[in-house]
Amino acid sequence: MMGPGLSAYLLVAAAMFGVGLYGVLSRRNLVAIVVSVELMANAANLNLVAFSRFGGHPWGQALALFGLALTVAEVVVGLALVVLAARSHTSLDVDAMSSLKG
Amino acid sequence: MSYAILAIVVPAASFLVLALVWPLRHTGRPAAWLSTAAALVSLACAVLALGEAPAMGAPPELLTWPWLVRGGEVIADVGFRLDGVSAPMLVVVTFVAACVQVYSLGYMAEEPPAALGRYYTWHSLFIVAMGGLVIAPNLLQLVAGWELVGLCSYLLIGFYWRKPSAGKAAVKAVWVTRFADIGLMLGLVLLYVQTGGFSWEAQAATSAVAAFLFLGVMGKSAQVPLHVWLPDAMEGPTPVSALLHAATMVAAGVFLVVRCWPLFEHADTLLLAMSWIGAITALVAAVTATVQTDIKKILAYSTCSQLGYMVAGLGSGEMLGGYFHLTTHAFFKALLFLGAGSVIHAVHSNELGDMGGLGRKTRTTMVLFGIGTFALAGLPGLSGFFSKDLLLEQVAHAGQYGPLAILLFVAGLTPFYMMRAWCLAFLGEPSPKAAHAHESPAVMLAPMAALAVLAVGLGYAGGPFGAMVGEPYTFHLTPVGIIATVVGLSGLGLGYAKYGLGKLQGLEVPALAAVVRAAPVDTFWAQAWSRGLLPFAKAIGWFDRYVVDALVNLTGWVAIVAAERARTIQTGRARDYLYAVALGAVVVAAAGTIGGISS
Repeated sequence: MMGPGLSAYLLVAAAMFGVGLYGVLSRRNLVAIVVSVELMANAANLNLVAFSRFGGHPWGQALALFGLALTVAEVVVGLALVVLAARSHTSLDVDAMSSLKG
Repeated sequence: MSYAILAIVVPAASFLVLALVWPLRHTGRPAAWLSTAAALVSLACAVLALGEAPAMGAPPELLTWPWLVRGGEVIADVGFRLDGVSAPMLVVVTFVAACVQVYSLGYMAEEPPAALGRYYTWHSLFIVAMGGLVIAPNLLQLVAGWELVGLCSYLLIGFYWRKPSAGKAAVKAVWVTRFADIGLMLGLVLLYVQTGGFSWEAQAATSAVAAFLFLGVMGKSAQVPLHVWLPDAMEGPTPVSALLHAATMVAAGVFLVVRCWPLFEHADTLLLAMSWIGAITALVAAVTATVQTDIKKILAYSTCSQLGYMVAGLGSGEMLGGYFHLTTHAFFKALLFLGAGSVIHAVHSNELGDMGGLGRKTRTTMVLFGIGTFALAGLPGLSGFFSKDLLLEQVAHAGQYGPLAILLFVAGLTPFYMMRAWCLAFLGEPSPKAAHAHESPAVMLAPMAALAVLAVGLGYAGGPFGAMVGEPYTFHLTPVGIIATVVGLSGLGLGYAKYGLGKLQGLEVPALAAVVRAAPVDTFWAQAWSRGLLPFAKAIGWFDRYVVDALVNLTGWVAIVAAERARTIQTGRARDYLYAVALGAVVVAAAGTIGGISS
């Protein structure tokens, strides 16, 4: 069997996760944060597929499929919230949403 | 046993019906009939219960349910205990209560219906409370009944609550008896600490328990210096005075000593103190009674004096004399009060000055009141003679000659002031108010006649009574008895000569009267209240406000300041929370990694 090894997949996944985390923490736009969260979720999915492929057990791929369904649902709910937040705040800047300030 | 239960359950049912069904209570007369019928049934049951009660010494008849249980062990029961001490007292209570309730049908006839219903509701409650006290299987239930009769006393003294003096008298009764009840409560707690229960038969109890209990007795049974509430309690309707403040409720203190006799029996120092307190009470109250002008006040001080007699008798270390005097006193003093009520009913005044010459118009009342007077005076053959004789003989037998001398003097003073009251009310020229006096209706005279029968005849029941109580009694004349009788007859003679015939004008004691009217004991308590209790309460209040509350406020203040500081970490910015989550994840991962390496 040819192609890159397990560690290559894991590196790519870790990079994706890191990019996603950076995006979540640094971006102020709500849509960008949702996209970044998706990136992190898919990094996890990539890990699952990679381990399944190299570990020899197909359940990981099944789990990844479930994960995809989950992220889709999450995006639906997340974007709905974004729309609502945009309606009530007129802006999507998360730093402006501070009504929980103690 | 079932009769004893009925004797309490029937008036309890009457009370509940009258208390809950307010339309019935507000109709007045039917409520009165219901309560009176219940009282009569209760009396019949109590008499039947007396017939089947086991004497003291035999095992008592018990019907109890667990009340306080701790860890499977029953601390206190609630229920019924029928024995040689409780059964006679139950008859005394129900008999006088029934007489008073029948009498009230006439005496209170002019009350508004709602007030009459209220009056009879409290009367039904009183039988239940007093019966529960008498028949209690342990001290805790006895104290519960004790408090309930105190409540009835408060409610009935303050029956004419539109009169400010009645309200004040009711409050005063509660204040004084509650003050004494502090001792009772301490005794109760000490009894529990020492014996783990509330039985008066416990061997482990020390005489300190009895001493504390006796403080409560002093309040309830109006011993000097806590007697000040009893004369004021005469603000209540006269039948109430007869039932509560002469025959039964004030005797509850004496009854407590009789009931808890195993606790008192061997407390020698306490018994001696009881003798002295009782004798001094008898003397002070009797002297006060001789200068009163209000017929009810005379009887009130007389009651106080006779309660002192009972306490002194118990102080002799033998219980029969005090208990016997309690029962005979209940009947003739109730008779005297009802007689006074009949006179008051006739002239609409309590003052002896408004009476006089009533004998011509109210002949039956005069005779019945006279029987009560003679019974109280200890005229040979009447009930008071036997009980007083036994009591004095026991005091003499105990060698307590100081109290004995005082009691003998009081034995002469008592007939004197009673004769004074009788002469001033029934003999001589009628006052303007007495001109239109009329005899009371039969519904009032019949209960008085019933009481008079017992006031005359109860003395002859001393033998069976002694057997019931477990201390054999046979009458025999002793020197003490002869002295008491002679002194008593001279008192009667002196009283009649002075107030009936108008002789002996030089016998006035104005200085004494002035001292008595100045009410030094009342003043003492008023000063003790304003100079002692109030500053003490203020000091306690200050401590509570500025020390105890300050500690409580300190904890609240600390929490507020800590929260002020802690709230600043809640920035409300989503990214800060996310940083915290990320950091937490890193920490958890790091901890897991390090843990994985080290294991």
